[in-house]
Amino acid sequence: MSPILEVEDVVRTFGAVRAVDGATFAVEEHSVTGLIGPNGAGKSTLFATIAGSLKPTSGRIVFAGRRIDRTSAYRVARAGVVRTYQAARVLTRMSVLDNVLLASKGHPGERLLGAVLRPGASRDHERAARARAHELLALVGLEAHAQAYAGTLSGGQRKLLDLARVLMLEPSLVLLDEPMAGVAPALRVELLEHILAVRRDRGITFLVVEHDLDFVMQAADRVVVMNEGRVLTVGTPAEVRTNEQVVDAYLGTAH
Amino acid sequence: MSILASGGFWAFVGVVAGIYTILSLGLQVQFGFAGLLNFGQVGFMALGAYTMAILVVKEGWSMWLAAPLGVAAAAVGGLLLGLPTLRLRADYFAIVTIAFSEIIRYVATNETSLTGGTQGTIALGPTGTASQYNGQWAAFQTHLQHSLGFSSADATMLVIVWTVGVVLLTLVWVALRTPWGRVLRAVRDDEDAAASLGKNVFAYKLQALALGAALAGVAGLFYAWEFSFFSPDDFEPLLTFFAWMILLLGGLGRVWAVPVGAVVFGFIFAGTRFLNFAPFTWVASDERAYIRLIIIGLIILVLVVLRPQGLLGNRREMVLE
Repeated sequence: MSPILEVEDVVRTFGAVRAVDGATFAVEEHSVTGLIGPNGAGKSTLFATIAGSLKPTSGRIVFAGRRIDRTSAYRVARAGVVRTYQAARVLTRMSVLDNVLLASKGHPGERLLGAVLRPGASRDHERAARARAHELLALVGLEAHAQAYAGTLSGGQRKLLDLARVLMLEPSLVLLDEPMAGVAPALRVELLEHILAVRRDRGITFLVVEHDLDFVMQAADRVVVMNEGRVLTVGTPAEVRTNEQVVDAYLGTAH
Repeated sequence: MSILASGGFWAFVGVVAGIYTILSLGLQVQFGFAGLLNFGQVGFMALGAYTMAILVVKEGWSMWLAAPLGVAAAAVGGLLLGLPTLRLRADYFAIVTIAFSEIIRYVATNETSLTGGTQGTIALGPTGTASQYNGQWAAFQTHLQHSLGFSSADATMLVIVWTVGVVLLTLVWVALRTPWGRVLRAVRDDEDAAASLGKNVFAYKLQALALGAALAGVAGLFYAWEFSFFSPDDFEPLLTFFAWMILLLGGLGRVWAVPVGAVVFGFIFAGTRFLNFAPFTWVASDERAYIRLIIIGLIILVLVVLRPQGLLGNRREMVLE
């Protein structure tokens, strides 16, 4: 197995605060890699930096052999690195179906001139995208809600919609920001199964920030532990669980 | 004959409502569909009108060439304004746009050799001559009036403005129903989400700004043709706020709410002219003109409380989070 993502000595400062302070790790292709650490460890900042919505102060981020640390967020997404947000950012005033359709790649109708001058090409693409969107909605169990406003979905359903939308983008690497936060326990199992099935069937790599350690231990092949902006250790869930530094970081040294 | 019963007067009200429709349609594209807080719409209107008038009077261009150039100038103005400013936060962008439209007005006031200065378009040509940019337009309008068999020029203008208005409304309505329009609405509702779905948010905002500016340019042309004369005073920020009132009256994010808002606005605005009975007569007649603004302000206040989505807006879409 080879790394699909390499984070090399990445630093991101906000004024005097070094939110990410020289983080280095790699994500193996087709893995589910957990990214954990106490609050303020720099996980979210690092996520935003990988996704391109924040630029690193220094360091390199290499995805599939290409540097992406100076690339804007939408280009990173097009290159195949797609992030989700802790509170799923669904477009509430659009239908569930339109939310998924938005994620269709290379749509000729999304260019003003393309929509006007090549209506045929736009229609063809739209038809194919619609079929695929319905398939993905069926996959995550939201087909019955296709025409509803996304704003009428529950928090957990929104996460499922987000997953369908992400899959529509045909990404190679998905960055999940706390996929289990705010999801009802009944939906958690379903969400986990979806993620594992997607990894198995589509060969998508996942990097997951998650506070729910049970989930991380269950789902992840490898775990990256961050503390104070740096990577504390990398290992299998079993290794990480027994690592004394990790226990210290989570419970404080005075435990 | 009372002015109330005068067809010419109501045709004029209709023409102005048509021009406001086109101006506010631009704002609907920018704010209603792309979320851009543009408080400088009148600046683009001025760019369209002045470009046309200057090319006709100073350069001797045919009006039929100068008019599309006026629209193009407004669109380019939108691009140039947007390139450095669209990355700003929404509230800062709003401040920049109002400054932009004031800069346009001040340049028009002070660059006398280019614009005629405070004297307006009458001073566009050499000193001592009263210049006119309207010759070709008047000829076209008269020709059309005869072909249509209309008795008045006002009615002809009404037909022209609303024909163009409906064509533009239809084009915008169609454009916004394409996948392009879908991305635009996504950018409006959540920029970060749109970017993480691979959409070039900046490019979409820039297109919406330029498209809305071009529509303001069209409104500027009709304004110039309707009044046969204009000066920098015609492009005060107040006009931008009229367009905003129309948008709020009609409803946000709905193309066909714009003409409804414009007509309602136009008739309230013209109708309050007839408040020549007590208690309105207690106010001096020249001050009474301000009563209509107060009335429109009150109507908008009531609307915001009782019907925040505007006359034609979608309430459901407003309350979803």
